[in-house]
Amino acid sequence: MRRYALQRGLTAIPVLLGVSVLVFGFIHLIPGDPAVTMLGERATPEKVAEIRARLGLDRPLWEQYVRYVGRVIRGDLGVSIVRGDPVLTDLLRRFPATVELATAAIVVAVGLGIPIGVASAVWRNSVVDSLARLGALIGVSMPIFWLGVMLAWFFGVTLRVLPTGFRLDTGAAFVPWTNFVIVDAALQGNWRVLVDALRHLILPTLALATIPLAIVARMTRASMLEVLSREFIRTAEAKGLSQRAVILRHALRNALLPIVTVVGLQIGHLLAGAILTETIFSWPGIGLWVYESLEARDYAIVQGTSLFIAVIVVVVNLTTDLLYAVVDPRIRYD
Amino acid sequence: MWLATLALLVAVALHVTPGPALGQTFVFGAQGEPVQLDPAIITDGISSRITRQVFDGLVRYKGPTTEVEPALAERWDVSRDSRVWTFQLRRGVKFHDGTPLDAAAVVWNFERWWKSDHPQHDNQVKAGQTFEYWEAQFGGFDDKSIVAKVEAVGSHTVRITLKDPQAPFLANLAMFVFDIASPSAVEKWGTEFGKHPVGTGAFKLVEWKPNQEVVLEANTDSWGPKPRVKRVVVRNIKDNSQRLGALKAGEIHGMEGLNPEDVLVVKSDPSLQLLLRPTNTTGYIAFNYKVKEFQDKRVREAFAHAVNKKAIVDALYGGTGLVATQFQPPSLWGYNRELRDFEYSPAKAQALLRGAGFAQGVSEVTWDDGKREPLVFWYMSRSRPYFPNPKEIAEAMAADLAKVGIKAQLQTAEWAVYLDKRKNGQLPLYMLGWTGDNGDPDNFLCYFFCQPGVSREGFYANKPLAEVLLRAQTLTSQAERAKLYRQAEQMLHDDVGRLFIANNRPPLAFSKRVKGYVPHPTGSEYFDTVEIQ
Repeated sequence: MRRYALQRGLTAIPVLLGVSVLVFGFIHLIPGDPAVTMLGERATPEKVAEIRARLGLDRPLWEQYVRYVGRVIRGDLGVSIVRGDPVLTDLLRRFPATVELATAAIVVAVGLGIPIGVASAVWRNSVVDSLARLGALIGVSMPIFWLGVMLAWFFGVTLRVLPTGFRLDTGAAFVPWTNFVIVDAALQGNWRVLVDALRHLILPTLALATIPLAIVARMTRASMLEVLSREFIRTAEAKGLSQRAVILRHALRNALLPIVTVVGLQIGHLLAGAILTETIFSWPGIGLWVYESLEARDYAIVQGTSLFIAVIVVVVNLTTDLLYAVVDPRIRYD
Repeated sequence: MWLATLALLVAVALHVTPGPALGQTFVFGAQGEPVQLDPAIITDGISSRITRQVFDGLVRYKGPTTEVEPALAERWDVSRDSRVWTFQLRRGVKFHDGTPLDAAAVVWNFERWWKSDHPQHDNQVKAGQTFEYWEAQFGGFDDKSIVAKVEAVGSHTVRITLKDPQAPFLANLAMFVFDIASPSAVEKWGTEFGKHPVGTGAFKLVEWKPNQEVVLEANTDSWGPKPRVKRVVVRNIKDNSQRLGALKAGEIHGMEGLNPEDVLVVKSDPSLQLLLRPTNTTGYIAFNYKVKEFQDKRVREAFAHAVNKKAIVDALYGGTGLVATQFQPPSLWGYNRELRDFEYSPAKAQALLRGAGFAQGVSEVTWDDGKREPLVFWYMSRSRPYFPNPKEIAEAMAADLAKVGIKAQLQTAEWAVYLDKRKNGQLPLYMLGWTGDNGDPDNFLCYFFCQPGVSREGFYANKPLAEVLLRAQTLTSQAERAKLYRQAEQMLHDDVGRLFIANNRPPLAFSKRVKGYVPHPTGSEYFDTVEIQ
């Protein structure tokens, strides 16, 4: 297992190098000059040239790339073109907000998706199944942006039971330790802030969780149906085991492998979906930050964040592969 | 359904009290996050909204106008040749860090902006931050600047000597970029001063939560009228609809960046009020003069008669737009009230096209190098104050043009790409506009027309127009300057150099509990008059 993990870790290096080439290449190839964007309607050729020289954008592309990789290896993701702040520091400060949101979304997606998928498979072709399938179909096809806006307007503006955005109310007297607000509030025993943070988390979580929830539910249903038709299930039932035991201990355990794969894949999608969700709900994570930086052609932030997300996706994929062995004892990596 | 039920159940379970307990806090919803809070460096409206509360200049704009009134300087004199300005500072004013505002502090600020070897100028430039507006408004740095000398001639008297008279000198000084910072705070924080701003303003910075909000607190030692709220919070809400949602939900008290279609939503909500910024912005259509067809004035005039500006303004500006007849908005003193705009007349447009040899209309254009291509009309993908609904406005104009036989294909590009193409003179026909910085006509006209033939202006070369504008820059009599600007507008009109479509009064929405918010044409309002009832 350890050797496999090491091997997989090493293969991640060319993957990340490839990602860095792609990210660097794409953002430089798409038209739109950061200097012109910074100056807006007031751009003159002299000012543009001056800013380009200052940012090193007048150097050949390969030279810019080599310098960039050199800095990244030393742990320096550069400084924001617009604000002049170090990218890594800002990234680490904003990342906890995204992790908090993505974690809540994955908990909701798995926590609801698996039971719904199981129920749908067990009561196949029943009203429950039809409703679940319809719900999943709607969930998969729902644009996050539209759903987010609707949720905010219905719960925030019409009913006024939940905030329309942000992580905390204005003026919340709270000094976070780690920027994981929920964890910090719980550790500090600040229940008012904890409740406030949870209330703010609900709507963005639902917007972000809808698509993965639907996918997990559909995958669980399909996987469960396949397992439920196998002979060992009939054997288990013939042994006189309760339906609950057959489903949870035998069927679900065997159906979990594809579900784990899907959940692993969803992590990457969640980070991508966070860009829209965070923008709608003014959630101060990396999604909102990347969106604003892309608009401003802040190369350093877009490159740094993309590379960071790529590292996370590689790590999550590796973890998913290793989890297979836990879920299915037949899988060995030695 | 299950999600909605779940949300409702959890919401009820966690429900304590809806919305924040705001008290005497004024919460404003901004369209984005400030870049930084050093007024000398910033150029954007989101940052300047905050610095205006923290800093004061020698002079400031009076109420909703661009007239200048005393601020840190309680009075001033100017020499007969308009080159020497002497400012008498208010006594007893202190920066938020307790250091005194005196002549030495003001001179220090000017030298920081102006002299490239000033330690606090040099380090900013090395950190990639430039004093862009100083360069633009005062001719450059060091010897290039129009400023010859800035000296303290008493503990509270500052004398500024110019090389030549500068007509908009006071209007320039009232801009947010020339607000006075605490020298000791700038020296303490260096290039990080933009995160720790210290001025003399009505509010002090308490906290800046990145990507979330900036919190200010009333400065009880303020020299001016005392603020009427204890705190100000400026929240960053990127999406226009969500910002309105937050306002309707009572989470914020006021907002900018209202979609035109939401103006009616605000008007029909009894708990909300709509305020309009006095117009200071003009949207136009520009021709590229490397396109042979547009070199013919009759074709340009046909465009001017073909577009029904009034219908567009009535339908697509949510009641906040005005038909533009010239580049300057009517609020500027150089505005030409005598100018008669082209009437909307498809018949005249068709006649002009026939006369120019385009009886069949125009659907293709020829570039100077002989390349022929379909006529493409470019519109921006991003809403701007002068064109709040660029796509819909472009569609309406294209429909008007089609009625007279001008068939243009609509095309857009992401904002950065759009500006790039415009800068390089690659757009044959495009929409853009301008928002004024200081209420001076020079700020509107000279950037566009003082350099004939530049690519960013579609190679438009009108030398007599440039001469008039450059002459107006050197005069100090406002009456004489106004005459020249009126003449310039007439010249631009007679040549059909551009089509000026609309002026807009950008809408702001507030809770009815907010009183005393005075919208300003430059977009930088002071919050010290705001109160929550």
